[in-house]
Amino acid sequence: MASAPTPKYNSHSLENESIKRTPRDGINWDLGEAVPRLPGEMRITDKEVIYICPFNGPIKGRVYITNYRLYLRSLETVCKHCRGSDESRCVLCGSGDSALILDVPLGVISRIEKMGGATSRGENSYGLDITCKDMRNLRFALKQEGHSRRDMFEILTRHAFPLAHNLPLFAFLNEEKFNVDGWMVYNPVEEYRRQGLPNHHWRITFINKCYELCDTYPALLVVPYRASDDDLRRVATFRSRNRIPVLSWIHPENKTVIVRCSQPLVGMSGKRNKDDEKYLDVIRETNKQISKLTIYDARPNVNAVANKLVLTGAIQVADKVSSGKSSVLVHCSDGWDRTAQLTSLAMLMLDSFYRSIEGFEILVQKEWISFGHKFASRIGHGDKNHADADRSPIFLQFIDCVWQMSKQFPTAFEFNEQFLITILDHLYSCRFGTFLFNCESARERQKVTEKTVSLWSLINSNKEKFKNPFYTKEINRVLYPVASMRHLELWVNYYIRWNPRIKQQQPNPVEQRYMELLALRDEYIKRLEELQITNSAKISDPPTSPASPSQIMPHVQTHF
Amino acid sequence: QTDDKINSEPKIKKLEPVLLPGEIVVNEVNFVRKCIATDTSQYDLWGKLICSNFKISFITDDPMPLQKFHYKNLLLGEHDVPLTCIEQIVTVNDHKRKQKVLGPNQKLKFNPTELIIYCKDFRVVRFRFDESGPESAKKVCLAIAHYSQPTDLQLLFAFEYVGKKYHNSVSSINGMSSGAGGAAGGGAASGSSQKTPLFESYSDWDREIKRTGASSWRVCSVNEGYMIATCLPEYFVVPSSLADQDLKIFSHSFVGRRMPLWCWSHSNGSALVRMALIKDVLQQRKIDQRICNAITKSHPQRSDVHKSDLDKTLPNIQDVQAAFVKLKHLCVNEPFEETEEKWLSSLESTRWLEYIRTFLKHSAELVYILERKHLSVILQEEEGRDLSCVVASLIQVMLDPHFRTITGFQSLIQKEWVMTGYQFLDRCNHLKRSEKESPLFLLFLDATWQLLEQYPAAFEFSETYLAVLHDSTRISLFGTFLFNSPHQRVKQSTEFAISKNIQLGDEKGLKFPSVWDWSLQFTAKDRTLFHNPLYIGKSTPCVQNGSVKSFKRTKKSYSSTLRGMPPSLKNGVISDPEFLPRRNSLILKLKPEPPEQAESQNSGVEQYFRDWFSTPVDLHGVILPRLSGIHIKLWKLCYFRWVPEAQISSGGAITAFHKASVLVDEVDVLSRMLRQHRGGPLPACFSETDQSRMYFQASGPHAASGTPDFLSSTFPFSPVGSLCRRSISGTPFSKFLSGARIWLSTETLANED
Repeated sequence: MASAPTPKYNSHSLENESIKRTPRDGINWDLGEAVPRLPGEMRITDKEVIYICPFNGPIKGRVYITNYRLYLRSLETVCKHCRGSDESRCVLCGSGDSALILDVPLGVISRIEKMGGATSRGENSYGLDITCKDMRNLRFALKQEGHSRRDMFEILTRHAFPLAHNLPLFAFLNEEKFNVDGWMVYNPVEEYRRQGLPNHHWRITFINKCYELCDTYPALLVVPYRASDDDLRRVATFRSRNRIPVLSWIHPENKTVIVRCSQPLVGMSGKRNKDDEKYLDVIRETNKQISKLTIYDARPNVNAVANKLVLTGAIQVADKVSSGKSSVLVHCSDGWDRTAQLTSLAMLMLDSFYRSIEGFEILVQKEWISFGHKFASRIGHGDKNHADADRSPIFLQFIDCVWQMSKQFPTAFEFNEQFLITILDHLYSCRFGTFLFNCESARERQKVTEKTVSLWSLINSNKEKFKNPFYTKEINRVLYPVASMRHLELWVNYYIRWNPRIKQQQPNPVEQRYMELLALRDEYIKRLEELQITNSAKISDPPTSPASPSQIMPHVQTHF
Repeated sequence: QTDDKINSEPKIKKLEPVLLPGEIVVNEVNFVRKCIATDTSQYDLWGKLICSNFKISFITDDPMPLQKFHYKNLLLGEHDVPLTCIEQIVTVNDHKRKQKVLGPNQKLKFNPTELIIYCKDFRVVRFRFDESGPESAKKVCLAIAHYSQPTDLQLLFAFEYVGKKYHNSVSSINGMSSGAGGAAGGGAASGSSQKTPLFESYSDWDREIKRTGASSWRVCSVNEGYMIATCLPEYFVVPSSLADQDLKIFSHSFVGRRMPLWCWSHSNGSALVRMALIKDVLQQRKIDQRICNAITKSHPQRSDVHKSDLDKTLPNIQDVQAAFVKLKHLCVNEPFEETEEKWLSSLESTRWLEYIRTFLKHSAELVYILERKHLSVILQEEEGRDLSCVVASLIQVMLDPHFRTITGFQSLIQKEWVMTGYQFLDRCNHLKRSEKESPLFLLFLDATWQLLEQYPAAFEFSETYLAVLHDSTRISLFGTFLFNSPHQRVKQSTEFAISKNIQLGDEKGLKFPSVWDWSLQFTAKDRTLFHNPLYIGKSTPCVQNGSVKSFKRTKKSYSSTLRGMPPSLKNGVISDPEFLPRRNSLILKLKPEPPEQAESQNSGVEQYFRDWFSTPVDLHGVILPRLSGIHIKLWKLCYFRWVPEAQISSGGAITAFHKASVLVDEVDVLSRMLRQHRGGPLPACFSETDQSRMYFQASGPHAASGTPDFLSSTFPFSPVGSLCRRSISGTPFSKFLSGARIWLSTETLANED
């Protein structure tokens, strides 16, 4: 069997946490109960329920609720062959019965509803219906006698929506320790230095150090050298929420740039602003050879048709910049939703650094987190108002596009699908501080970096798990995905991962086979080395082989 | 259109076509411009267009732009199209705004300024005659129309070619030069020394009986000299209990006298049999009974026979053809951007994927009957030579790992398609009599691709191999895909030989080159691209618990990993393959079968599938297709390779394939070095030569330096030579043809000349 005892790749990060007991993952297990517990996680209650599994039918189980998660372990066993709970023993396999487990961070819950009433008839008609942000829908039936669901409903509501009850988000209670500090991953000065900034035309300004120029922008901005701080302040008055055009990325050779901002405040009168126009001219003139600036207005309808349009837009931006035809200014309304999608995707196409694990973390940290994508509003962390019109899966759409790119370029990204799924899982889980709050100034006020753990700590301390074995590091290759419906796919392993019948092969057989081959190569190299040592100990056998191991090994080892 | 003259003056140079033996130039025209797939015409090529009795050829000195690799078919230049690959010929005069689809022996009342060739492989090639002599342009167009739509089978080029070979061999030595005999193996290509059995002889069938361990089956030679049926092979396999005399009598009652043919036997003794309908109503029950009894007798457990009426369960050949035509329109014809919006629903409405799924599903259900229920299966179809070919082949690919090797797959095609009378001539429509056309063979290759996509380590061959194999059906040089039956080959080629004064001696008909002699089409280097680097062959080494073993598996090794901790169901998802018992394990087999009870057959199948999918795959055992909507995909390499807009440059699955190939090559090199150190024997998968099995090599020019520039999702094909549909001189192509749908039906345009 090919897959026999080779390394195991788990499909879902949340799942892994429930089975791995290594302290490195920061998971403790309650002895006796076999319920996973993070440092800082507290057990609140448990209750016997019937879980109405959409795939296996009703299953009796015990639900444990902590201040971080809802955890269900079935009391009945599920026959994995029949995928039903009726038979306690499977004729085919005899044993093999197993418990069904649900592990749901409370942060993913978007809505909790009571179903049925005290007088409802029918089996399993009384209970709770929980809608999750990660596409799960969980239904628990409880006993009708004595309002048995009331306290479960209240406890869940309280801890799933802590902000409505004056409770802290779990990230502030989490006491996990990792051997890597994810908060150190992004240092804006270093990142801009990597891009070759500041240079003759662009400077780093601290004008927004105390978030006075723009409260939703980062403290550190890159602006044209020739624009004075006063110029910036004047331009700010003309831009929605003071989000002035600032540099996101500069091309290392042709020096064209990607600049982002919010929409101009053109009132009813259609007034124009001289300062703003002058400022754009200054940006344009930062590049004497090309001296062109394309304005990409991402406002109309981009929302409508999903990832195809987002990708198409990003390709256009990347193409303008990479071909050296023109610098590009991207804006939408406020410059924190579609703008972030377009600039970050274009940067991913243009700059291979962002396709590494740390590079991608920096990209997210920079274009999304520091530039004020309103994660708190778009995701609704800890907030009970599930119908809030501010909620929107903008970031999910971005990650979907990244996944599409990784499908089209299987060797171009250091990270694998699991990396992206893990990011999305913790976008909702509230276990880490990374995606909390709407902007940098709010995060600073809440001392997020001091009081919470970064998601990148978890990922970077266990990087192997998130690596794409096919990754080939390349410098300066611009990637243009094909934004055609012929190539865009449904991300089955994310959107349909809870359905055991639809699930793709895990691990991916191509990846798995490749890992086996890598192991085989390493084994052969080891043996050759051993043989060489033995051989050289003997009287020298004149080298008859065309290449000795020592000749080939350096080459062979350069791959990874 | 005058602003098109961007290129310098057309060159005057002697451009000579490369011709095969027996190939003659019929007509030619100079100063032709071939349009290239870019937005502008600046990359267009100037050259000479010739029409021969084998191909249309565009000969140019200009290098192909924007293409950085060569994957060349040795029979064809990069701009050539074999005549049998031509689907439709459209001539245009854009000054008079006229166009005409050219049939054979038709007149053309205008001088064409442009010629557009629609190819069966979805290519669209476009030539312009702005600078050429109007009369010679017209003549070439008419010649192409005439020679690509021959009235008689013997006018296909293969006859001329093979006839010439015979003549040459008489004048030189006794015997054939290259390509002689079909028995040329995948040998050089597959790295194994095995040759592809053609099943033309008694012994090939006999060996197959022995290989599958089918006792109580015998090779029958009643049809020697095609005495009984002209659409059956001379030798085939029948139940031992049926005497030749009985068969002769029964044969009269079957449609086309196609009596039951054995295909394959499972190690449990269940047999797969195909047969035509019994047309004789009076005899029907009796004969049916006799046949079934005989098959039962040949089963070691005397199990019953399961009959599957394919005509009732599967789409018919017209349905498949209709789906394919729709798919072709969607992939090639429509303006790219217009099809984008409703791509998924358009694709669904072609029903192509649905049909692929239906065939796979039905085949998998029959796998269940053979494998789990231990029943022999009869595939029944009116003539038994269309749907049966697909289903019989798919069942065997799923059940028998031998057919997932290159040699095995080729022998399967010989066994279930070529020798059993799949009507390649009619279904491929080599003579353009369109009513019998149906792409069942492509459907089979596509379904195989689905399995390859789902089980990438289970197949010795790559998707390039499948695509190239499909292309080979469009080259009228090989005997393999030219005829409706083996008898037709013998009969037609004997006639031809007599008319050409070729001495056949005791040979049965002319020996056409076999498509399995891949050296006729590709260099040894290019053939290595057929190899799937991820394949785990029987003796492929692997690492187990830190020690290298070979994948030779005995029944014993199954049981060692049987019991472990019960897996848990995590997050409602049942998946923990490591702890599950291996499929086909001894213990599973020793357990009593689940009681059949009143359980309907359907739930039995579903149960079987569920069981199968809940245990890890044994790549050397059965593989079953995943059948849900998301698992049946469009075979992009095959259908998109000529569409420039769909090409992902420096991307696509090939980039991972490249990495894997390089790694496999490294492992091979290391293994060879280890062997030299030890002086031990060679693992079977390495040929004695030092030539690499892999197209991409660790020590090659692209070693370790990342993904080569020339890779793209269409590799090794390039859409550059295909027509750009984006725009032509700024006019969207569809509008250019006055809004007419391309692939114009002949009727639509009949009165436009």
